[in-house]
Amino acid sequence: MTLSGPFRPRFWRSPLRGPWLTAALGSVLLVLVAVVATTGFLSHVAYQPELPGNAIVDPGADLPMSFAWPAGFTYLYAITQGLHVNVGLVAIPFLLAKLWSVIPRLFAWPPVASPAQGLERLSIALLVSSAVFEFVTGVMNIQYWYAFRFNFVVAHYYGAIVFAASLVLHVALKTPVILRAYRERGVLKPLREDLARTGPEPADEHGGLVAPSPAAATLSRRGLFAVVGAGSLALLVANAGETIGGPLRRLSLLAPRRQVIGPGPNDFQVNKTAPAAGITADMTGPGYRLALRHDGREISLSREELLAMDQHTARLPIACVEGWTTTQEWTGVRLADLARTAGAAGAAPALVRSLQPRGVLGRASLNAGQLGHPDALLALKVNGADLSLDHGYPARIIVPGLPGVHNTKWVGAIEFA
Amino acid sequence: MRDRYGASPLHLLAHLVALPLVAFALLQIAERGDAMRIVIWLALSAVVHDLLLLPFYGLLDRAAQRAAGRSVNYVRVPLLLSGLLLLVFFPAISGKGNGAFHGVSGLDYEGYLARWLLITAALFALSGVTYLLRGRRS
Repeated sequence: MTLSGPFRPRFWRSPLRGPWLTAALGSVLLVLVAVVATTGFLSHVAYQPELPGNAIVDPGADLPMSFAWPAGFTYLYAITQGLHVNVGLVAIPFLLAKLWSVIPRLFAWPPVASPAQGLERLSIALLVSSAVFEFVTGVMNIQYWYAFRFNFVVAHYYGAIVFAASLVLHVALKTPVILRAYRERGVLKPLREDLARTGPEPADEHGGLVAPSPAAATLSRRGLFAVVGAGSLALLVANAGETIGGPLRRLSLLAPRRQVIGPGPNDFQVNKTAPAAGITADMTGPGYRLALRHDGREISLSREELLAMDQHTARLPIACVEGWTTTQEWTGVRLADLARTAGAAGAAPALVRSLQPRGVLGRASLNAGQLGHPDALLALKVNGADLSLDHGYPARIIVPGLPGVHNTKWVGAIEFA
Repeated sequence: MRDRYGASPLHLLAHLVALPLVAFALLQIAERGDAMRIVIWLALSAVVHDLLLLPFYGLLDRAAQRAAGRSVNYVRVPLLLSGLLLLVFFPAISGKGNGAFHGVSGLDYEGYLARWLLITAALFALSGVTYLLRGRRS
């Protein structure tokens, strides 16, 4: 039979495609994706799903992967999650270029020549699907576009397992091909060719990547890398200010969290406002009491009583899972002091409950290291002023290195184990 | 083995490590109410990329080549950067994400479309200046 359209090898004309180009793009992509995947799974650990009230993914259906997330590094989650989101953006142009470099393989004929090839095509389909899925859902989530109407956390997490498994398989199978391409063509040598010297790679007998009748080159290989790298840089510059903060926030022209609200002590980014969480004035008025529970006993404290306790000030970030960070100066009572007051010194974990009637994240448990850290606070003030209602008045948690939403706002009760 | 299977036994073993992990992940969502939507999005991800997005920008590139000939890179590079920014920040630029964003944060995606247009203009301007400078030199 005669093949037509993209199934015809001569349909593919770019002189740049070949085993070296795919190996080189894939090598860069692998490094980037390794950072994104590692920080992604670290984020899962940072939520401490094994503690009461924290799990979003059903703990009975989770991988055995957890350790006590430390409070010792103030910017730990800001860094890991900042890397996850920003390196994720940087990886997108390389993912697109890598997929472009191998697109002729999608139309290989016959589609399945052997059981081995059939199996490999299945795993490639899983790899490409899960890769695109992870990037699309991640990018949509940081911009609050929930058109997919499924639980983002669950889908992104299990999608990541599909992606990681099929990626490790792919790298294992392709390592000999990558090494051969580097051995035959040199690791960086093709990057030294200018446009005039850019021609097709030597024909590969079973790869099917090198065009049999290529068009003249319009871009050198180093030109391609420069353009893809420029794309990565553009995405990074457009977003990274929301992670780094300060004056850079306004310079990131397309970052979802670039808004600067005002000069006041409470004018920094709000993850969820009081009205969105269902917080009303009577919950936080003069009748407000914080309940400390331990061993069947309960102590309740008014905000005045909390203000009368030893106050401690710390400069700590709120680091959101969406990759944005805002660092402020918080003042309040050390969680360790509250534990002592409740007769629960050293008790862990502690479940912190918000007054908010709505939302999956109306509660979060803290581990022993977090409860005992000297900068871990029940904050009453920020930048010298009372917390605003949107930032958690009358009292909120702020703990170094913690995922943003676990810094529970409008704290109604702390239950020590 | 190699004759009938088409590759070394290691090839098969590697698949038999990875594919059960994939099955594990898919099984964990199978009971969920939103399982079907997740699977559809997963499957459509590859289809939309491979059969829509990639052919679309391939055609766009070919059109740019026909229009600009040897100077194609002065058109294609700013076009690619601008398109990439639109693709990634589409929810903010188009305002598609604004409803939920405003609902939780009280903020709005203001001026994203305007800034993207200005960035696009700046990219093409930069490319034009480069073309002029290089053209004059050669």
